[in-house]
Amino acid sequence: MPHVTIEHMIMMPILILQIFLFPLTASWIMNIWVNSRRNLTLQEVASHLGSTIQQVYFLLNHKTMDGTLTQETDLPLLIENVPYSGNATLGAVLDPTLDPTGSSSKLLELTLKLSEIGTTTTTSVLLGQNVLWLESTYVSTSPNSGVTATKFPNGTISMSFTS
Amino acid sequence: MAGAVIDHMISLIIFLAVLLAFIGLFGETVQTAIMYQKNGYLATKCSDLLDNILLNPGSPSNETVHWGRSNCAITSFGLQDPEFTEYRLSPFSLMRLQSSSEEIYYNNTWYNNASWGIEGAYLLVPKSECINYSTATKLLGTNGTFGIQLEITPTLTFTIKEQAESPLELAIQVDGQGIPLSNAPLTYLMFWTDTTSQEGKPILNLETGPLTTDPTGKAVWRNDTLGLTTADNKTAYTFIVKASIGGLTGVNCKSRNAYIENAGNIAPFIDNYEDGTILLAHNPKNNTSDNEALHFNATFYSLPDIFWPIPRLSNWTGLVNATGPDPTMQIPVDARSAPGFLIVAYYSSSENAFGMSIMPWGIGSVGVSVVFAENPFMPANEWVAADIRQVRVGDTAYQAKLLLWSLEGYEVVK
Repeated sequence: MPHVTIEHMIMMPILILQIFLFPLTASWIMNIWVNSRRNLTLQEVASHLGSTIQQVYFLLNHKTMDGTLTQETDLPLLIENVPYSGNATLGAVLDPTLDPTGSSSKLLELTLKLSEIGTTTTTSVLLGQNVLWLESTYVSTSPNSGVTATKFPNGTISMSFTS
Repeated sequence: MAGAVIDHMISLIIFLAVLLAFIGLFGETVQTAIMYQKNGYLATKCSDLLDNILLNPGSPSNETVHWGRSNCAITSFGLQDPEFTEYRLSPFSLMRLQSSSEEIYYNNTWYNNASWGIEGAYLLVPKSECINYSTATKLLGTNGTFGIQLEITPTLTFTIKEQAESPLELAIQVDGQGIPLSNAPLTYLMFWTDTTSQEGKPILNLETGPLTTDPTGKAVWRNDTLGLTTADNKTAYTFIVKASIGGLTGVNCKSRNAYIENAGNIAPFIDNYEDGTILLAHNPKNNTSDNEALHFNATFYSLPDIFWPIPRLSNWTGLVNATGPDPTMQIPVDARSAPGFLIVAYYSSSENAFGMSIMPWGIGSVGVSVVFAENPFMPANEWVAADIRQVRVGDTAYQAKLLLWSLEGYEVVK
């Protein structure tokens, strides 16, 4: 009889532990999965947005093009039910092999951030020397989110996010 | 008591084993799902990257200087023709891409080899004047993260064969994407030589005309009036043919770059890309110091979209000696910005034999392909995303295919 008591004393907590341990393990693994998904999707969105900016710039930079061009993006409004926003800063190219004269190209550093989670990702876009970037924020949930660019008579192209 | 302890040990081991198996199987499923998403990301990246390359002329690209038409450093990578919009590529930017084919070393210079005598066509640009893979990937932002291979190949494929040598008869097979190009009108340019001037310089002749492919995509060129014969190298020719049907245009060529016993054959090299300086030399792979001199006669033609050659530098003649110096010429300034080709006819007086070679000026004038990659090796265990665009180079239809893979270890799930 004492054997049965000891068995119950040991087995019962283990069985109860199982009730918590399996869901906790599942939740832990699912968190890894969701985080990876979020990071990858954010990275993909940043890369696609960078590509859109580059294409808008080069389209307007063509000698036959003039005026203002606005491109609405076809990016998801939410990533895993979370909205995201983006900022960009324009700087010089630091790698001398990419810009031997030091004045021909500019690098746009694009940063996207998931609003509630705080996950960020950065991508770089190489643009020409005649580009200006206006301080602006990309808001994924905005109905008009996209990129706008205006070409001035002197050839300068001013770009920003629309929202 | 001992039985109960054993029971507990077994049940505890089973419990731990079940838990580990659960973590392992669940983890593997999640890993596969993440891999799947990464591969989806690769596909999007591939499509974006291909558009960025094809819809951007690169920098510098303005009225005074274009990186594809000069030796200047490149600050943004793109292949679009600056004169046009949409998917129309610059025939000259493509010439500056460093090919993955084996480089050619000649006269203390390494030459990029886009075409090394393929059907008698040579396209050799000094390696120092080409854009290498490392620079291009840095400018594209993929250096160290993604591997790429860009292939620009003609949409129409041609096979030109000599099916009889006396009189000369050429069989031309034209295929589209997997099917023969039936009943397509062809236009050809036949350059040939079989006689020399009193000084022993070969004389260049030209004959043009139309042909039509049969339902199997085949056409035959034969001209009994000319009575050409290639037996014992008594004639050499360069045959350029253009097919055009339903807005789809393709060009190809075959040049009889005959190797003449004791004299070798001639290969044209681009000595300076920006200045348009061309040098003629014995093909270094066949050259020996006791090779006899070859008489040559070369003409540079511009080839506009109407497919009618306009001579821009006619009857450049001289001798190519195995021990040098190599004869050089310069393409006229106003002819450098238009696609064309250089035809070289050569003659060995001791062997009484002829040969010819051709050098395209601008990809597309005679349908040369370009493969831009670090090396021709393709990763075996990586997921490779591919995307294709139909483009034009000049008037010729090409297919641009980009292969992209991650260098961060997105292995294929086995």
